[in-house]
Amino acid sequence: MLKAAPPALRATSPQVGRSDNSKIRVLSLLVEDGQNTLTKVSGVLRRRGFHVRGISVGPSRQPGRSRITLEIDHGHAEADQVRKQLERLVEVLEVEDLTGDDLHNRELVVATVAASEVQALLERGAKVLSTGADGTTVEFSGGADEVSGFVDELTRHGIVDVVRSGPVVMRRTA
Amino acid sequence: MVLEALEREGVEYIFGYPGGANLPIYQHLHEHPHLKHILVRHEQGAAHMADGYARACGKPGVVFATSGPGALNLVTGLCTAYMDSVPMIAITGQVVSTQVGRDAFQESDVIGATSSVTKHSYLVTKIGQLPRVIHEAFHIATTGRPGPVLIDICKDVQQAEAERVNTEYLEIPGYRLNGHVDLEGARQAAHALARAERPVILAGHGVLLSHAERELMQLAEAAAAPVGTTLLGIGAFPVKHPLSLHMTGFMGTGWCLKAVQNADVLMMVGMRVDDRVTAKLSEFAPNVKTFIHVDIDPSEMGKNVRPHIELVADARLALEAMLPHIDKLQADRGKWLAQIDAWREEHPLRYQRSNGKLQPQDVLIDMYRRAKSEAIIVADVGQNQIWAALWWNYDRPGLFINSGGSGTMGFALPAALGAKFGRPDLPVWCVAGEGGFVMTAQELSVAVEHQLDVKIVLLNNFSLGMVRQFQDDFYGGVRSQVDMTHMPDFVKLCEAYGLPALRVEKFEEIGPSFDAAERTKGPFLIDFRIDPEANVYPIVPLGKGLNEFREAPEYA
Repeated sequence: MLKAAPPALRATSPQVGRSDNSKIRVLSLLVEDGQNTLTKVSGVLRRRGFHVRGISVGPSRQPGRSRITLEIDHGHAEADQVRKQLERLVEVLEVEDLTGDDLHNRELVVATVAASEVQALLERGAKVLSTGADGTTVEFSGGADEVSGFVDELTRHGIVDVVRSGPVVMRRTA
Repeated sequence: MVLEALEREGVEYIFGYPGGANLPIYQHLHEHPHLKHILVRHEQGAAHMADGYARACGKPGVVFATSGPGALNLVTGLCTAYMDSVPMIAITGQVVSTQVGRDAFQESDVIGATSSVTKHSYLVTKIGQLPRVIHEAFHIATTGRPGPVLIDICKDVQQAEAERVNTEYLEIPGYRLNGHVDLEGARQAAHALARAERPVILAGHGVLLSHAERELMQLAEAAAAPVGTTLLGIGAFPVKHPLSLHMTGFMGTGWCLKAVQNADVLMMVGMRVDDRVTAKLSEFAPNVKTFIHVDIDPSEMGKNVRPHIELVADARLALEAMLPHIDKLQADRGKWLAQIDAWREEHPLRYQRSNGKLQPQDVLIDMYRRAKSEAIIVADVGQNQIWAALWWNYDRPGLFINSGGSGTMGFALPAALGAKFGRPDLPVWCVAGEGGFVMTAQELSVAVEHQLDVKIVLLNNFSLGMVRQFQDDFYGGVRSQVDMTHMPDFVKLCEAYGLPALRVEKFEEIGPSFDAAERTKGPFLIDFRIDPEANVYPIVPLGKGLNEFREAPEYA
């Protein structure tokens, strides 16, 4: 059962439009799986005054190791400090700074809208996951701007609930 | 299992305190006579003892504490070691693994509480992990940039039996060591130093940790470059050497600060370049055209000052690699060194010596006359620390121990006891104010129990002197909560603990009191009732640049 959306939910993440993009680093981390890993990564980010704009975690190709994708606002520190501070952690095997590279930068959004007529969403490439009395649930994936544009479109359909995945990033090879 | 592993790592002393969650380890302690356990009176004392031990003898200090409050009492001591890159292994008991997360008795999230003050930490929930973890922990604590490593071991794991595993082979893919020197960078750095008109070298704790004192001396002499040290770098370069600038930073010597502010090439070796070294960052070393930074930790590069030439390497290897490239000095150093000598004349260290009150500097000067370079000085934090740093001519490494980065009051007494365990061959002097001393004074029991030959010099001004000086100078002269009234009678306190002590109120009594201390085997305390208005100079006002240092008034 879906709960009713809180009335204050904004369609667009307030941070997206306003932030100073020159301070954002996009990092891809390979880490050891373990109960302390995420605590330590987030601990370093907090302690050094970095702000997490986006994060996603999933298994990597190597057993026992996960991939963390981070979008970090490095604040007043030198840009390279984010990578260097993360590399100090023994749990972190590899930090790749992808900022400014040619990337596939994708995000997944799942949303339920009150409307049953969702043609405009489908035209943007959304897929219907389920329909019911509470509304229609769709999924959509795309670049950050596309996802933001999609979420704007959702508001016109009456958002009941919306969830975004955070970024998944890979360097373009072809 | 734990104790066997510690024996294999060559551990001699453990500073610890037993409790519910580490009882299985203590049950077997008597079976390991090579492991000497020192029972402290508070876990913070254990951490500082292990710290002082490690700084004095170079081996990692080992600490035991139980779960919950026992482990949390270590936090300040871990932070002290972490900030100053001291190798330490803290082994804490944790509740039974099936109880973790249930708010069990004396359970606390030790990993969470200590992550930001340890180089690395482990929670051990299965016996199979233990041998590898302990071996790894020692490796990580002692290599690269050293630091404390915490191992939190569930009680059921402590009780479990396991096959002995071969732990010779280590595989820690996430642990990077930066020992190698970029030879091209070293050549560039050497050339910049040789071509400089007004070079200055600043040496930090990293020089001591990598035993690079000889290379530093060779390089400084080859490049005719004056050398200042940070508070923790004291001993890296002999204070009496003609090229010595003594200590830098916001309480450094006037001639060192002048040299730094006028230098055109500044090489910083084995140091973090923190706010106590730079004072106001935007006004730090404004005439420098080439900053050279040598440090083993890549994250130090550009953290505070962006270097033009960076060498991420062990200090000794980096200096060694630079040496052959210092051939011909392009600029005549005569003028620059003469200028520094002039500043040395112009801004000497001085103090009030004519008001009839006992001056802390007189106490330290008398101590130095006796001890020369044959004693370890362990200072606390505050005015006593800076006096002990400036009024003593350290000419060898490892003789001055203090909490620099963390500035932990209460450090000196337990650290001095630890230093004595680590270097029983050297006299050990503890210098502390009365404020810091009472924070860990309970460890006097350890001094008496083991009859440790540690002499305690209490510079007692019945106030938090450094705070009082800051309030006087930088906070409108409003003295707030700095009077340490209702302190114990320290001579009687020592009597209660079982060690001899003296009170000294006059200049003439300094010598005889030290005579008495030196005649006495075992611990001894002298309660010096110093001038409560004595200040630390030079000092840079908070938030100002280094060139705005204030000097001691010209006393009549």
